[in-house]
Amino acid sequence: MTNPDQKTLNSILDGYPGEPVNLLPMLQAVQTKFRYLPREAIILVAEKLSLPKSRVFAVANFYRALSLTPKGEKVFTVCQGTACHLRGAPVVIGALEKALGLNLGQTSPDGRYGLESVNCLGACALAPVVTVDGVLHGAMTAKKAAKLV
Amino acid sequence: MNEPSQYLGPMIKGTIDGLSITVRPGTVLLNAARTLGIHIPTLCHHEGLPPDGNCRLCVSQVGGRLVASCIYPLTADGFQAQTDNERIRYARSLVIALMLIRAPEAPVVVALAREYGVTEQPRLRRVTADGCLRCGRCVRACLTGGAEAVSLVGRGTARIVTGPFFEPPPDCVGCLSCARMCPTGIIGFTELFDRRQIWGRNFQLVPCPTCGRPWATEEELARLNADRLCPACRRRAMAEAISSCPTEN
Repeated sequence: MTNPDQKTLNSILDGYPGEPVNLLPMLQAVQTKFRYLPREAIILVAEKLSLPKSRVFAVANFYRALSLTPKGEKVFTVCQGTACHLRGAPVVIGALEKALGLNLGQTSPDGRYGLESVNCLGACALAPVVTVDGVLHGAMTAKKAAKLV
Repeated sequence: MNEPSQYLGPMIKGTIDGLSITVRPGTVLLNAARTLGIHIPTLCHHEGLPPDGNCRLCVSQVGGRLVASCIYPLTADGFQAQTDNERIRYARSLVIALMLIRAPEAPVVVALAREYGVTEQPRLRRVTADGCLRCGRCVRACLTGGAEAVSLVGRGTARIVTGPFFEPPPDCVGCLSCARMCPTGIIGFTELFDRRQIWGRNFQLVPCPTCGRPWATEEELARLNADRLCPACRRRAMAEAISSCPTEN
């Protein structure tokens, strides 16, 4: 986890004009850099856009792609869409939970791994699907999933 | 308030419950119905706040479609709206049943449930009865006042009204607008002598310079940018000013 300092935050956010339409892109940029939205970032974005802190916080809280707690460096995302569910997503989740020593939705204490679920990735033909840092792995089995770790 | 202004053009004609009416395009159904004296039940709507179409209690029918009448703009000539029929009552009943789960004791909700013959439905009992309907009227009251100290945070059943970071809201001025606008009256606050407490924040009440009654917080007075007279003393001051005005004759 990188510690947020005002300088880095400013360097990320300074490129955006101070208009409310930039709220989401700014939060996304911070999320990409720090893998979460530090409190300081939310306050700074609110100031830069002249928006109430409560609204920026509400937006940050709303989207699954944004997180208020640090996400793992390597994030395993298991699809739990209908197709993936039927073709064994629960088994894959079990295997990953065991291999990573994490429960679904958790991040390891050292911040290296994260295990998450998603409702559908739109790759139903490849079900069940796991993405690792955005890279898609289809036709997963418990064995194959454990190998990804 | 806040009728959409992007609609231009000549006045349009239509009917609401069979009564003909001519309105400016963009007039929302609720307001059009009210000018005809037709009652549509509302909950999250308030004349002084921007409409939100949040609670869906005002659901009515335009053509074959169910719409939230507080935000539905009438745009086409020849619209045919209905504000009360079997289908609408069914839709409203479901809304009320959901409200009944969240706020079973709130007088507004109890009255609605009685009017529509709705009883508590155990199948809906998946959320806590915390008294809050998530209608967002408090948030809009706060926003209209200029602070927007609290907002609706989270999604689905986990949505709550809270300050940033789930903490006491730093931008709150203690004006109680939220508490006064809350339809169920669930937003708690206390007032003891010259102290006021709301959203976990403590405020010092400033005395009225005339009668000495502590009545408003320093923070809200700063925002209002007005004199510090309490409402009663302001009325008296105004009356005195008017009565001492020299008349023309």
